[in-house]
Amino acid sequence: MAPSERNVPFVDLTRQFNALESELVSAFLGVGRSGNYILGDVVQRFELELARYCGVEHVVSVANGSDALFLILKALGVGPGDEVITAANSFMASAWVIVATGATPVLVDVREDLNIDPRSIEKAITSRTKAIIPVHLAGRIADMNAILEIAGRANVCVVEDAAQAIGARYNDRPAGSLGTAAGFSLHPLKNLGVYGDGGFVSTNDHALAENIRLLRNHGLRTRDQCVVWGYNSRLDAMQAAFGLVKLQRLDSWNARCREIARFYRVALCDYVGVPEDKAYEQNVYHNFIVKTPFRDELARFLAENGVGTAVHYPVPIHLQPVAQQLGYLLGSLPVVERLSGTILSLPIYPELTDDEIRFVAETVKRFFVNKY
Amino acid sequence: MNDTNSTPTIKNFLPAQYAADKNRAISHNYLQQQFSDYEQIFEKIRDVVIRGDFTLGSEVDRLEEEFAALSNARYAVGVGSGTDALLLSLKALDIGPGDEVITTPFTFYATIGAIVTAGATPVFVDVREDYNIDPHKISEKITKKTKAIVPVHWSGRPAAMTEIEVAAKQHGIAVVADACHAINSEYHGRRVGELGDIACFSFHPLKNLNVWGDGGILTTNSSQVADRIRLLRNHGLVSRDEVQVFAYNSRLDTIQAVVARHMLKKIHSITASRISRSRFFDEGLSGIRGVKVPERDERIVEVFHLYQVLCERRDDLQRFLISEGVDAKVHYPIPMHLQPAARYLGYKRGDFPVAESIAARILSLPVHEFITESQQEFVIRLIRRFYGA
Repeated sequence: MAPSERNVPFVDLTRQFNALESELVSAFLGVGRSGNYILGDVVQRFELELARYCGVEHVVSVANGSDALFLILKALGVGPGDEVITAANSFMASAWVIVATGATPVLVDVREDLNIDPRSIEKAITSRTKAIIPVHLAGRIADMNAILEIAGRANVCVVEDAAQAIGARYNDRPAGSLGTAAGFSLHPLKNLGVYGDGGFVSTNDHALAENIRLLRNHGLRTRDQCVVWGYNSRLDAMQAAFGLVKLQRLDSWNARCREIARFYRVALCDYVGVPEDKAYEQNVYHNFIVKTPFRDELARFLAENGVGTAVHYPVPIHLQPVAQQLGYLLGSLPVVERLSGTILSLPIYPELTDDEIRFVAETVKRFFVNKY
Repeated sequence: MNDTNSTPTIKNFLPAQYAADKNRAISHNYLQQQFSDYEQIFEKIRDVVIRGDFTLGSEVDRLEEEFAALSNARYAVGVGSGTDALLLSLKALDIGPGDEVITTPFTFYATIGAIVTAGATPVFVDVREDYNIDPHKISEKITKKTKAIVPVHWSGRPAAMTEIEVAAKQHGIAVVADACHAINSEYHGRRVGELGDIACFSFHPLKNLNVWGDGGILTTNSSQVADRIRLLRNHGLVSRDEVQVFAYNSRLDTIQAVVARHMLKKIHSITASRISRSRFFDEGLSGIRGVKVPERDERIVEVFHLYQVLCERRDDLQRFLISEGVDAKVHYPIPMHLQPAARYLGYKRGDFPVAESIAARILSLPVHEFITESQQEFVIRLIRRFYGA
């Protein structure tokens, strides 16, 4: 087939929907006919299954991944005057949740694997630091042993931003079970995605879970008693029902993503920097991010040849217009800044065929062969 | 947060409540009946899923246009919930720490939750016997710190907006209406969505115009406010990669917008049926000693999200009705200033006598479109029997 006729989109959720349609329809009908669309049995069942999956005692579902982190910070009592340390190469929401509590985000540098650098954390800790939010970027868990040790010494909490990492493992422990609590996203494009906004908190801390249960539902202890002015941040029962259908497949989907990652790694390691699993890691490859000095050219070539790509993320948080108030300068986080110009995400989702991933790899190779 | 730590367990109380409600023959929850009509909706949801158009998709745009038209307002912006509509409106007006917001103590928790979340202090003003904020008591509560009035159009009956707008104008403060109960209401010939600077609506499953999960929308005539809220609801993103302000994630799901658009086609018939069922109750209950039916005002269109009367021995009557299979509910028995969450504001019992007296007597009876006249007659007979009428 001529290359121009091929088309491998960066995402294609239709394939998954087609494969699961009859189950999704019955999930939809089940909730619809129950007449209970807010925090009913289905939501509770989904929370229990997620808790089992993440290896924790409590899961509290919420309206989206941002709210998951925000409500954790609120429940931990983070507020004005406090500092929270996180990585600068994340989605904006990671910094926003800190700002939303009234605390100050302290953005730090990352390592070559794109995850937060424990040494940078250590340097950023002050007497005002209340929490560290390592971001498990692209489905790779941050170096939690080092981070937990630093946090333990400084007596601060570690809140995992596991939005992109459901099912990932670190020393054989699942994402979401490693810190004080973790925030997950169920956004449609995540490895476990629903058909709208959704998210959840995982934790082993009973009191924290109960606090978040209060905060997500107007602070209501009972229908008629409000013990703290709260929020409205609930996962729709419909979305929980879709999530239950998909959760059963998550392990096999993640396994397929790992398989695709292995293929890309072998095929492309002579041309671009490729992500690898360290011995203690089991990454779920929410994104497969390669590094090349010719990023923009390569992205253009791939687009012309029918391969969709994306950049996660081209402008680090500390250099966004909105972050001017935080006072970072260009050059203050050198690794993040250097990497942001070189990273490119290739298509990776379980439904990609072997044929398609071969085509993606060959197209990347062709770019470099033509170039030299 | 400290007083919540001492609580042994905050269970999710809704599954038990749903199970109890289900046993009642005459229920507030009509969603099982409503859902019988889902095929068309599902086809459109399928379409959204196939197109991958989940986040602020084209159905949200269309709903916003249609809702603005329904409200006779220039702009409508869909958000995650009615609560968030209030919160984002306050934030769009730059209301935050140090500011005061005047509102009613006779409301749902979310009105206050939104004000407090914005960082402001709620200042309560008592209500009148029509359950809505007393406009003549507002001015005395306005201080230099007051930034907005949040009147609540309780149960779908618009508050006294003429007086409220005059007071607001005099003091140069904003009016953000909590219209979460009041989709399709009218006040002196004006649509409720054109009253005040911003009007906030909820699509919660039991609202007159509902979706099948959480959702909300707000209306305004200010392009500046609308644009600001569009930023605030979506991470402050001006493009995929550029953030202008640090902001929330509060979006109306596209698949819920599909449901809302479907219900929007029926809103006038839903409203008409709620009004006629409410008139039926008005007539059937008005002669009963022990029951006070509120006075109706011809210059307003009440949409009866809740049908509420004031009853002597309310708790006994509620228990009696429930035992007979009628889902009589109380919205709500404890006014906001007496909630444990309000302790820090320093109010006490007696501060808002009308709100307190209403909270002790008010009772809601189902008036949704799936209630039949004979069911209503049954309810009226039961209430007559209770009072020996």
